[in-house]
Amino acid sequence: MRRTRDQSAKLAVLLTAGAALSLSFFARPARSAPSPQHSIDFNREIRPILSDKCWVCHGPDATNKKLRLRLDSEAAAKADLGGGRRAVVPGDPEQSELVRRINAGDDAERMPPPYSGHRLTDREKALLAEWIRQGAKWQSHWSFVTPVRPAPPPVKDQAWLRNPIDNFVLARLEREGLKPSPEADRVTLLRRVSLDVTGLPPTPAEVSAFLRDRSPRAYEKVVDRLLGSPRYGERMAFRWLDAARYADTSGYQSDRERQMWRWRDWVIEAFNRNLPYDRFVVEQLAGDLLPDATPEQRLATGFNRNHRGNSEGGIIAGEYEVEYTVDRVDTMATAFLGLTAGCARCHNHKYDPLTQREYYQFFAYFNSIPESGIHLRAGNTPPTMLSPTGEQRRQARRLETEIAALEKVLAAHETNIQRAQETWERSLAARATTQHWYPGDGLAAHYALDGDDSRFAGDTVKYQPGRIGQATEFDGETTLRAKEATTVTDATPFTLSAWIFPTAENAGAILTCAKEAEPSAETPAGEAPMGAGYGLFLAGGKLQFNLVSIWPFDAIRVETKGKLALNRWHHVLARYDGRRTKYGAAVFVDGQQQELKDAGDSLSEPYSVTRPLSIGGTFGGGGGEGKPFHGLIDEVRVYNVPLTPRQIAVLANPNPLDAIARAAGRTESDSDKLRWAFLASAAPAEIRRAWRRLSALGLQKARLEAAFPTVMVMEELAEPRPAFVLRRGSYDAPGDRVSRGVPAALPPLPEGAPDNRLGLARWLVQPSHPLTNRVAVNRFWQMLFGTGLVKTAEDFGAQGEWPSHPELLDWLAVEFREGGWNMKRLLRTVLTSATYRQSSRASAELMARDPENRLLARGPRLRLPAEMIRDQALFVSGLLVDQVGGPSVKPYQPDGLYDGLVGSGLVYRQDHGEKLYRRSLYTFWKRTIAPPSLANFDAAVRDSCAVRENRTNTPLQALNLMNDVTYVEAARALAERAMRQGGRAAEARLRLMFRLATARDPKPHESRVLAESLGAQSEEFRRDPVKAARLLGVGEKKADAGLDANELAAYAAVASLILNLDEVVTKE
Amino acid sequence: MNPVREHQFCLTRRHFLRRSAVGMAAVAALCKGDGLAADDSPPHFAPKAKRVIYLFQSGGPSQIDLFDPKPQLAEYRGQDLPASIRMGQRLTGMTANQATFPTAPSIFRFAQHGRSGAWLSELLPHTAQVADDLCFIKSMHTEQINHDPAITFMTTGFQLAGRPSIGAWVNYGLGSENENLPAFIALVSVGTGNTNDQPLYDRLWGSGFLPSKYQGVKFRAGAEAVLYLSDPPGFDSRMRRRFLDDLARLNEFKQREYADPEISTRVAQYEMAYRMQSSVPELTDLSKEPEKTFERYGPDARKPGTFAANCVLARRLAERGVRFIQLFHRGWDQHAKCPSHLANQCRDTDQPSAALIHDLKERGMLDDTLVVWGGEFGRTVYSQGRLTETDYGRDHHPRCFTVWLGGGGIKPGMTVGETDDFSYNVTRDPVEVHDLNATILHCLGIDHKRLTYKFQGRHFRLTDVHGNVIRKILS
Repeated sequence: MRRTRDQSAKLAVLLTAGAALSLSFFARPARSAPSPQHSIDFNREIRPILSDKCWVCHGPDATNKKLRLRLDSEAAAKADLGGGRRAVVPGDPEQSELVRRINAGDDAERMPPPYSGHRLTDREKALLAEWIRQGAKWQSHWSFVTPVRPAPPPVKDQAWLRNPIDNFVLARLEREGLKPSPEADRVTLLRRVSLDVTGLPPTPAEVSAFLRDRSPRAYEKVVDRLLGSPRYGERMAFRWLDAARYADTSGYQSDRERQMWRWRDWVIEAFNRNLPYDRFVVEQLAGDLLPDATPEQRLATGFNRNHRGNSEGGIIAGEYEVEYTVDRVDTMATAFLGLTAGCARCHNHKYDPLTQREYYQFFAYFNSIPESGIHLRAGNTPPTMLSPTGEQRRQARRLETEIAALEKVLAAHETNIQRAQETWERSLAARATTQHWYPGDGLAAHYALDGDDSRFAGDTVKYQPGRIGQATEFDGETTLRAKEATTVTDATPFTLSAWIFPTAENAGAILTCAKEAEPSAETPAGEAPMGAGYGLFLAGGKLQFNLVSIWPFDAIRVETKGKLALNRWHHVLARYDGRRTKYGAAVFVDGQQQELKDAGDSLSEPYSVTRPLSIGGTFGGGGGEGKPFHGLIDEVRVYNVPLTPRQIAVLANPNPLDAIARAAGRTESDSDKLRWAFLASAAPAEIRRAWRRLSALGLQKARLEAAFPTVMVMEELAEPRPAFVLRRGSYDAPGDRVSRGVPAALPPLPEGAPDNRLGLARWLVQPSHPLTNRVAVNRFWQMLFGTGLVKTAEDFGAQGEWPSHPELLDWLAVEFREGGWNMKRLLRTVLTSATYRQSSRASAELMARDPENRLLARGPRLRLPAEMIRDQALFVSGLLVDQVGGPSVKPYQPDGLYDGLVGSGLVYRQDHGEKLYRRSLYTFWKRTIAPPSLANFDAAVRDSCAVRENRTNTPLQALNLMNDVTYVEAARALAERAMRQGGRAAEARLRLMFRLATARDPKPHESRVLAESLGAQSEEFRRDPVKAARLLGVGEKKADAGLDANELAAYAAVASLILNLDEVVTKE
Repeated sequence: MNPVREHQFCLTRRHFLRRSAVGMAAVAALCKGDGLAADDSPPHFAPKAKRVIYLFQSGGPSQIDLFDPKPQLAEYRGQDLPASIRMGQRLTGMTANQATFPTAPSIFRFAQHGRSGAWLSELLPHTAQVADDLCFIKSMHTEQINHDPAITFMTTGFQLAGRPSIGAWVNYGLGSENENLPAFIALVSVGTGNTNDQPLYDRLWGSGFLPSKYQGVKFRAGAEAVLYLSDPPGFDSRMRRRFLDDLARLNEFKQREYADPEISTRVAQYEMAYRMQSSVPELTDLSKEPEKTFERYGPDARKPGTFAANCVLARRLAERGVRFIQLFHRGWDQHAKCPSHLANQCRDTDQPSAALIHDLKERGMLDDTLVVWGGEFGRTVYSQGRLTETDYGRDHHPRCFTVWLGGGGIKPGMTVGETDDFSYNVTRDPVEVHDLNATILHCLGIDHKRLTYKFQGRHFRLTDVHGNVIRKILS
């Protein structure tokens, strides 16, 4: 007993010391009661010690170490370990093996063992002993227990309360002997809430309006206005993109472009229309599996395809299929469950009740997608969907309506048409005209090659009887080159069609339109180099179709699997959909689509080539074996649309119309050819007009659809792929087969939930789930206050930090769920609380007592996130282009951003005009070289799911804000704005600049510094006006020539000063 | 708390809080974050090296043509690689479907050099001259067979993106030794061996889950070595000084109103930025280097952005107290035309690498500077593509490769590790990537098991749960 008393005394000292140190005020009880008599709370005080110091061995994964003692379960910890020894004997520290071992003097005895790298502090040892003395009460881990709405605690200062949030916060403050801070002044509060809700500061007009509105609900009205702004969705989306690891590139190795921006726009829209969070979760995880899924719901599943994708030559598909699935599981776990599930990939989780087997049960939900581990180097890897924008959908609907109407007209006349066509066919049959008909819409060029050389430069050629009329003979020496040049780009769809009669297997180039090639060291042995452009070749008897940006790194190259028979006519056709992936390259022989194998899979760097079409050979290279063609070529047609299979069959149909009309039986292409020929040329005038219009509309629709963006989405295989426990997490070490399921420590799947991702998603949002709502509200809290109520926003497990206000967290979580998962409503509740509205001014004492503001005795004062710093500068200077959504843009970046890092001539191609001034949400995000001006300010890099906000303060940020073109130009634009709108007096102009940036008026001493600064910089520019001209030349937007250059430069210098102020880059 | 590790911003906070007459506890709380417990702060023991210059050879240098002679291979020339050697190990998708795996002995001559008798190929005549200062590890092996995961593994200890790089770990553990430059600087270059070689990624010098202040700052060739370093056109240094003074005055008003230490930190960081504006151009301006420098490092050293120029810069950075200097040199990926491309690549790198050793030694800095030279894996003994009298290609080979180390903490003039007759499998003293990284940290006085950072509930470290310091190469 004496020892216990000693320990108690020691504990008292240590606990007091702990309180004085103020290092861990979450782990200690209320300041007023640091005595051994305080009742120790297992979850708050003991579990963290056991988890951090003991569970690595004696935790959920103890079986792996073949250890009998487990300290993660009450029964095991208190069980007989043999010989009557028990680790924990409630009420009796002396008999507890745990206490003996942690205090053992002998290294071999002492726990944790020295080699583990873990050590218990004296205070921790004392706490463990005291906890046992008090009866070793056990509790379930708090975050695994479904939250129930706690009653708001009573407080003394009732007057301060605005809503229940404040009860929880104030109760804690009163316990700590602290007082909340007074409400922030109105201007500061308006700027804070505007930045928090829309990511942009208030305009001077908004400030004035708010100051004028003396109604008691003035602030609430502002909150509602801000939540209704389309900028709200953009602001919220940025953080979600971090969690969803959204980017515009694939993230591995050459890290080329993909297009996921339609998904990004879905996110913005979902926030703006206030999609309830439960649906937000379900649609992103399993929108494709919802009954009658809408295109929007399918689009939402892009969430699960934002992971990185590897295309490096030589990777093993199976390995990366596992990596992608793992990424989906880990992202789901971090973003929705707040659990570090990834630990259980290789072994049972060391700290949380998640076995390796359970990990792979999660895995089994996400591996049944028809996706290859080898991604395309550029572009979207299937499964993908077409995802027209709202405007494109409207246009398509208009076209479809008109097409349907015309089709109805034709259908109404079908009997008449048929009768007229039969009459026409009879006359055809009688005439023997050898007439043909081919699709004419979208036809860019037609070379009949019937003996007329006038349209060609290049060699003189011989003509032979051809497939239709004459054909050109190519003997390996000759090439025809069209006189007029055509422009082809990587984004232009086209169809190439010709008849060929090859006489040799390596017959060479059929049709090419490409730049002269420069031989390079990288050209594979035995191949001629290729310039940018396209080419259709016969090589080794196979048709080869190449689309090249940079050969061989950046190209699509497909080849038919089968060979063409020699010395006979074939119709050959190559089609490209303009979407830059191998899936858009098709080859048809005699009207039949061919199976292809590919050597190059996608295009990344854009090209635009203006060259004449070459027939039968290439000029200065251009591909394949580089050899001119041997044999005959006839009837070359180039379309600037991708033709349909039926149109292609008609093109490949060699039968003249009269022959078809006479023949006893007809193929589909025979019938099409006749019908279309009749409708186009021989039908009654009214029908002809309708047909022409219909055909023109069809072309318009095809072109419109060719421009529809695609997005990578989820699809479920009809038969789920088997899933296995992977030993050590390795793709090639499958163990036991597992089925889908959820961890035993969490609630079971809801009744009747389907056995797929949809069931999993519904499980996440069922009312009894203890994590989903807590994790979500915590993230919102973090967004506003800088730190979550649970600081470890990514980890609600045993190793996560104990919540600063557990009851507040639960209250918010229940409020959120019961309020219909209404995100705007939840935010509104927080934003209108007295807690949020406090001034962020802190005394030095409070700052020292609570540097991270975990007690919430003041409002948040935080450096703005990366995107807001840039957006604010663009906004206050009037440069910001306010357009929601659309493809990502490439604003200013330092010259040569990719230099030295990537080969293959890949460069950052900066955009111009409006695209320079879009919100940072739309900035093109290359994962391996993230936009430096955002990365400098701690933006997440988007390699993997990130939910924790991070803020550092570095010299690179200073350089960035002072010298980046973006900010220099914004400063100048701000100066122009002040000079134009701020009146004539310097003081008024300076005041306007200051107000735009800070929302408030400068104080007299601040005005004085600004004025002195303006004076000093004016002096510099007056002395050397060349400097002014140079400074004003920064940025693509021309300086206002109507303003005095020296004066403008000086104001620009002061504007830059203002944009660099701590207050300006800070939310106060 | 370790005074060396204290970052600038902690210092500022400390000053601020002292002024405010508040105890150290708050400072500790502010600066500690999720980081190291005070008693785990490095150095954990006396360091041998104060800094590291890591000459990373990206792409996978061919050990079999450079460091690991196999004269007996001549008789196997053109024969299929014996199955007993390959042992069914996985190959990359680039050669896995090759019909044959013809053995391709190196066409380069090897000789022994120095008192230590290190074997080196004729492609490395300059390295040969400093062989006695170096320690060659011929038994390195890795788990990764493709560039992205392999280079990520070498530099961060994990094959997927997201972990801190070795330089970031060192920066986090030891902090800066100077006040004018970042503690971790990366330099990139590409050789003539394969100008379209593998790309590099920011993550190779990134901070992963560590706070971003620990990440490496990449210096670029040319006028603006650090992004956004130069004042805008028309804005000179005097104006910038005035600007900073005015900015500080305004920020100090704010500081008086709010007790937020971030404000004074920001003022301090602007001053550091200002110092960098002069220290970096001075640093990267090689014009005042004596002629001897260029003779020693070779003529390329005059061309900014070359490996040679970066080696000179590395020495200058080391002189200025930069803790971790990492050069990334691309161009070692010789899938085809290995002999000619490799010769080019060595011409770019051999002389400056050796010159750096020589130079550091002459200045008395080699004793406390650890120099590391190596890539992410080796290359196959069998030819990728056609084997001819004068030509062969080599695919990626993870099962053995060579790195060398020299300087602070490393025993000079020794070779460890052996491979089989085909330079295919390690037969003696295998060294894994985590061992190498543990050893680098060890030389800096860091116990790799104790340099940890808590993230997602786990105490992460550079070497994960692996790594053994290579004791026999320690001096």
